[in-house]
Amino acid sequence: MALLTPAITPADDVRPAGPPPRKHRPVARTRNKVLLHVALMLGAVTMIIPFVWMIFTSVKSPAELAQYPPTFFPQEWHWSNYADALDAAPFGLYFRNSFIIATGHTLITLVVGSMAGYALARIRFRGREIVFLTLVAMLMIPTYTKIVPQFLIVKFMPLFGGNDILGQGGTGWLNTWWALIIPGGLSATSIFLFRQFYLSLPKELEEAARLDGLGEFRIFLQIYTPLIKPAIATVGLLTFQESWNNFLWPLLVTTTENLRVIQVGLAVFQQLDNTSWHYLMAGTTLATVPMVVLFVAAQKYFIQGFTSSGIK
Amino acid sequence: MIMKSLTRRRVAVTAALSTLALGLAACSSGSSDDASAPLEGEVSGDITLLTPIFEGTAGQKLLEDELLPKFYEEYPDVTVSVDYTTYGNLNEKLTTAAVSGAVPDVMMMGVGWIEGFAERGLLADLSDLGLTEDELLKSYTPAIVDAGTWDGGVYAVPIMLDTRFGVARMDLLKEAGYDAPPQTWDELVEMAQALTVRDDKGTLERTGFDIMSLDSRQAFETMLFSADGDLFDDDDTAPAFNGPEGTSALQLMTDLVNEYKVEDIGFSSTDEAVNPLLNGRAAMGIAHNNLWTQGLEADPEMLDNLEPFIIQGDGQGMFFGGTLATRSATSKNPEAAQALLEFLASPDAALAANEQRGNVPALTELLDSDYVQGNRFVQFAMENLDVAKREGGPAEWLEVRGDFAPAVESALLGQKEPQDALDDLAGLVQTAIDR
Repeated sequence: MALLTPAITPADDVRPAGPPPRKHRPVARTRNKVLLHVALMLGAVTMIIPFVWMIFTSVKSPAELAQYPPTFFPQEWHWSNYADALDAAPFGLYFRNSFIIATGHTLITLVVGSMAGYALARIRFRGREIVFLTLVAMLMIPTYTKIVPQFLIVKFMPLFGGNDILGQGGTGWLNTWWALIIPGGLSATSIFLFRQFYLSLPKELEEAARLDGLGEFRIFLQIYTPLIKPAIATVGLLTFQESWNNFLWPLLVTTTENLRVIQVGLAVFQQLDNTSWHYLMAGTTLATVPMVVLFVAAQKYFIQGFTSSGIK
Repeated sequence: MIMKSLTRRRVAVTAALSTLALGLAACSSGSSDDASAPLEGEVSGDITLLTPIFEGTAGQKLLEDELLPKFYEEYPDVTVSVDYTTYGNLNEKLTTAAVSGAVPDVMMMGVGWIEGFAERGLLADLSDLGLTEDELLKSYTPAIVDAGTWDGGVYAVPIMLDTRFGVARMDLLKEAGYDAPPQTWDELVEMAQALTVRDDKGTLERTGFDIMSLDSRQAFETMLFSADGDLFDDDDTAPAFNGPEGTSALQLMTDLVNEYKVEDIGFSSTDEAVNPLLNGRAAMGIAHNNLWTQGLEADPEMLDNLEPFIIQGDGQGMFFGGTLATRSATSKNPEAAQALLEFLASPDAALAANEQRGNVPALTELLDSDYVQGNRFVQFAMENLDVAKREGGPAEWLEVRGDFAPAVESALLGQKEPQDALDDLAGLVQTAIDR
């Protein structure tokens, strides 16, 4: 009873009118907090269980994987699965290649994409809206439909790989880092995201900078871009992740193992009608490590970026 | 003279290897004056090989450290660059190669793929360099040779096969009072019902006959062949799978799920971590021959309980796909390419490739090999290859095969009657063929 009886305070005495005091406010607040945390914990567990399942599967034996009902915790921890998985393909080489390509894509996206986004957001020029709408339209084009045209551009790249000025006679960019890095280096999505971030910044900054005599490039580089660190982290991480997981394009434009990527290595464990789940999960666990490290490092900016860009 | 030199070398190579190449030698020397005589020139040059097999470190070592050195001993002036890919993306790889003109000299591809790529002019007729259908028939069963031919030409040589047939868990059958797999569809239904186990709430615990663990198209094809049906008519110009045989096959599959309640939708799938036959969740089912290899890893003692069987209806239900070697029609070094192709299809190389993947050799003579004799499913498959049927037929097969699974599944889900599902599918297929 004592808990339900509110204490009378001086403030209560002087309140002349208005809504009645909310007697259960602290209790309700606590209850709401608990409910919120329970909901968030459920969401977190739902998200993390597949990840934990992947790690547990990576250390199980084929015999344990065959059991029904399936076990959650490994009965025996077969860490040797990791060594065996790494032996199944040249993962060191694949890892290096994936890292080079993902880093290349990310750098190109951050440099060129931010410039393009800035131009579309803050520089008035004739046809800007059409360019932007074209960019938005490009977001709708499925990746698969672009593969053959992109492949032809790469194959017939003039003056590369033995090709003449008309792109004939050689292999162009096929089997080169050019083919792996340039075509996927910039996406319409990243330009769109950068544009949205630059649009959200106040115009007064630009006007003040112009009064101080700054040119367009310095306004872009020194005034606006430092203010969109969340955008840089967000676009950078998304680009790196997409590039890291890329499988089909590197497979198509290369014919040598020296240029293959980590996802190609993982495909070794998935043969027709037979998947080596323990090795596949071991390899996948290792392949996710760089992404997890990157996310942890850029987590603060990443979440800010998602919040302010409205991506969920 | 150059051709005779080439022939002599091939004969020397095949002394310990294949009747296949002996036939080639005889044929090529006898056809030296023919208009379609083999291209002249030394067996030399840089060639490329595109392969969805020999993947991973183990496969790569086998190919590059064991097989290719043997090839180079015979053809020291040939250099082979290998492009490893996956079956899942082989079609994209071949398509981009075709449209760009950068076609590999030797390409591995699947059963049912040959017709389409041959029609597009991507593949060379291997009989131009002496590999005739008659010679192949001395070493392979007719259905396997047929998988590599199109419009009277030979466009591919088989290296390995993937087969699908019935598999029974004999320990579970014996518990239920059966001492042999079913011999007819009626027996299949009766036994499947008796072997199905549900708990008190009706939740399925064990299916009597699993048809969900493999691709719906391949499950239907196996049952279609069991009904003595065919996918297409004799000249591959019209669908035949929607005839009485196909309808009864799909009706049986549908009844097993919806009427006899032998298996529930979603009980198993192609993505299942383990085939339900291995952990006792299925008493019988249609399975791939590599179930044996999976069983060796998961539970070797249980292998004694697995019994392969042909699904008997009015016909004999056994399905085969596989990997075949082809030569590019635009290869700048056709002799070298064909030499590599023949080498990879030769007994020693083919046996090693099959052993590495646990697959079924296509060469009849390999039935007696230790590998085949040591793998009961592979042995069973080889012993019954004469009744096995394949998918494919028209050049448009690759274009339409993806439509089969949705059609079959629409019947299994009760959305369409089996006859309607197959008729609708036949309409789509016919449109593609007529296009």
